[in-house]
Amino acid sequence: MTTTVADTHEEHDHHGPEKGIRRWLFTTNHKDIGTMYLVLSLIMFFVGGAMALVIRSELMNPGLQFVHPEFFNQMTTMHALIMVFGAVMPAFVGLANWMIPLMIGAPDMALPRMNNWSFWILPVAFGLLASTLFMPGGAPASGWTMYPPLVLQTGDAFPFLIFSIHLMGLSSIMGAINIIVTILNMRAPDMWLLKMPMFVWTWLITAYLLIAVMPVFAGAVTMLLTDQFFGTSFFLAAGGGDPVMFQHIFWFFGHPEVYIMILPAFGVVSEIIPTFSRKPLFGHDSMVYAASSIAFLSFIVWAHHMFTVGMPLSGQLFFMFATMLIAVPTGVKVFNWVATMWRGAMTFETPMLFSLGFVFLFTIGGFSGLMLAIAPADIQYHDSYFVVAHFHYVLVPGSVFALMAGAYYWLPKWTGHMYNEKAGKLHFWMSTIFVNLTFFPMHFLGLAGMPRRIPDYSTQFADFNWMASVGAIGFGLSQLIFVYVLLTAKKGAKATDRVWEAPRGLEWTVPSPAPYHTFDTPPVKRVAEEAFE
Amino acid sequence: MTHYDNSKPDTEQRRNIRRTALIMAGIAVAFYVGFILMGVLRA
Repeated sequence: MTTTVADTHEEHDHHGPEKGIRRWLFTTNHKDIGTMYLVLSLIMFFVGGAMALVIRSELMNPGLQFVHPEFFNQMTTMHALIMVFGAVMPAFVGLANWMIPLMIGAPDMALPRMNNWSFWILPVAFGLLASTLFMPGGAPASGWTMYPPLVLQTGDAFPFLIFSIHLMGLSSIMGAINIIVTILNMRAPDMWLLKMPMFVWTWLITAYLLIAVMPVFAGAVTMLLTDQFFGTSFFLAAGGGDPVMFQHIFWFFGHPEVYIMILPAFGVVSEIIPTFSRKPLFGHDSMVYAASSIAFLSFIVWAHHMFTVGMPLSGQLFFMFATMLIAVPTGVKVFNWVATMWRGAMTFETPMLFSLGFVFLFTIGGFSGLMLAIAPADIQYHDSYFVVAHFHYVLVPGSVFALMAGAYYWLPKWTGHMYNEKAGKLHFWMSTIFVNLTFFPMHFLGLAGMPRRIPDYSTQFADFNWMASVGAIGFGLSQLIFVYVLLTAKKGAKATDRVWEAPRGLEWTVPSPAPYHTFDTPPVKRVAEEAFE
Repeated sequence: MTHYDNSKPDTEQRRNIRRTALIMAGIAVAFYVGFILMGVLRA
C-alpha cells in the first residue's frame, strides 16, 4: 500500500521542512499548518477552560465568593468567544488541513500561501482579544452575542473586540475558500463527489456555511462599530435604529455557526465508527444528503433564539416547525451510525469510545434542543440554565468529544507511534463521568428557574450548582491526561501504515508518520479503490 | 471544477483554482456588503 507515495524528492527542489522558527512562520505545508492550528486550539481550550473554572468556582456556593460580578460577566463572555472561535473552530480547521489533502489524494491545499496567512491571523486576533482583560473597563462583558445597546457600554475593549472578530472572520473565510477550492479541484482521479469520505463531505458543506455566514457576522459588528464611533444608528432606537435587527442578523450567523461546529464532528465520527465496526458506513449517500439538509435548514431557523423578543404567531410557528424539521436529517445520521455498528465486529479503542460517547451524549443535546424549539415552552426555558445545559451537551460531549476521537484516531498517522491506550481510555471515562456531572444537573437548575449569566443565586439551587462545579473541576483535570498522552505520543510502539485493522481511505495508504510531502503524483485508480475496500 | 490530474497542463488547473477562489471570495464580499446595505436601507 505504501507504494502509492512516489519518492519524487530527487526531482523536486523542495525537500524537508526548514529548520527552526522559519519552518513554522513561513510554512505552506498543510501538515505543518494543521499542526499549528491544533496546537493553538489546544492552548485556547485550556485558556477558555480556565475561565470556565473561574465561573464554576464562583457558582460552587451561593453568594459572591471570589470575583466581582463585572469580572464574572467578562469571564462568561470571553469563555464563549475563546471556546467557539479559538478552540472548536480552529481545531476542526486543523483536522481539515491535515486530513483533507491526504483523504482526497492531493499534494497540499490549493492555496498554500493563503493557508499560512489564515493561520497566522488567528494568534494576532486572540492576542487583541486577550489584551482587553488588562484594559480600563476590562474585557467585553455583554455575552458572546454582543447585543446592543448593552455591548455599546463596553469600555476601551470595544474596538479591540470588533477588530479581533473581523480578523477571526477573515481567517475563517480564507480557510473555507481554501478547503472548497482544494476539494473541488484537487481530488484524485476517479474520486467522484459521492465517493469522497464523509469527513471531506461534511467539511465541504461546512466551508460553504462559513462563506455564507461569517461575512454576515462581520457586517453586524461593523455596524456596531459605526454606531459607536461614526454616529450611525443601525441598532440605536434613539436614532431611529432597531436593536432587534442586530439579533436577527446575529442569529442568521449564529445558528449556522452551531452547525459549523458540529458538521465536521459528524464527519469525524462517520470515519471512526466504520473502522472499529469493521463495516462500511451505512448509507453514505444519505449521510451526504442529511448533512446538506441540515446546512440548508440552519439558514431558516434563526429566530428560535428570539421567541421571547416577540414576533407574530405565524413567525413563531414557522421557526418552531422548521427547527423541529432538523431532527429528521439528524435522526438519519444517528440511525446510520447505529446501523453501521449493527452486527459489526466492534472493538472499543479510545477513538471508538469517544465516538460512542458522542452519539449518546450529542443526542441528549439534540433532544433538549427539540424541547427548546417549542415556542410556548421556550418562554419558560429561555435564558435559563436549561439552555446552558443544552448547548454544552451539543458542544462538549458533541464537538469536543469528536475532536478527541479524531485526535486519537489520526495521532498514530501523525506521529508514527501508537499512543498510550490505557491513558486514552482513562481520559475517555473520566471525561464522560465528569462532563455529565457538570452539565446534566444544569437541566434541573434551568427547569427550576435559575437564570444564566449570574454570579449569585438563590439557595434553592445550591446542591446542583455544587455538583456541576465539582464536575467541571474533574473534567478540567481529566484533560491533563490528554496532555500526557500527547507528550508521550512518540514513545509508543511503531505504528503500521494502516494503523488500525480495518480503516478505509487514501490517508492509510501513506506511511506512518505521513511524509512531509505526500501524493506528489496522484494515486492511481487501482490503489484508490483498494483503499476503500 | 475538474479533478486533480497529472495529464492536464498545470495552467489549466491553476486557472480552475483561481476561478473557484474568486467566485467564493465574491460570494463572501456580497454577503458582507449586502447585509450592511440591508441595515442602511432599514435604518
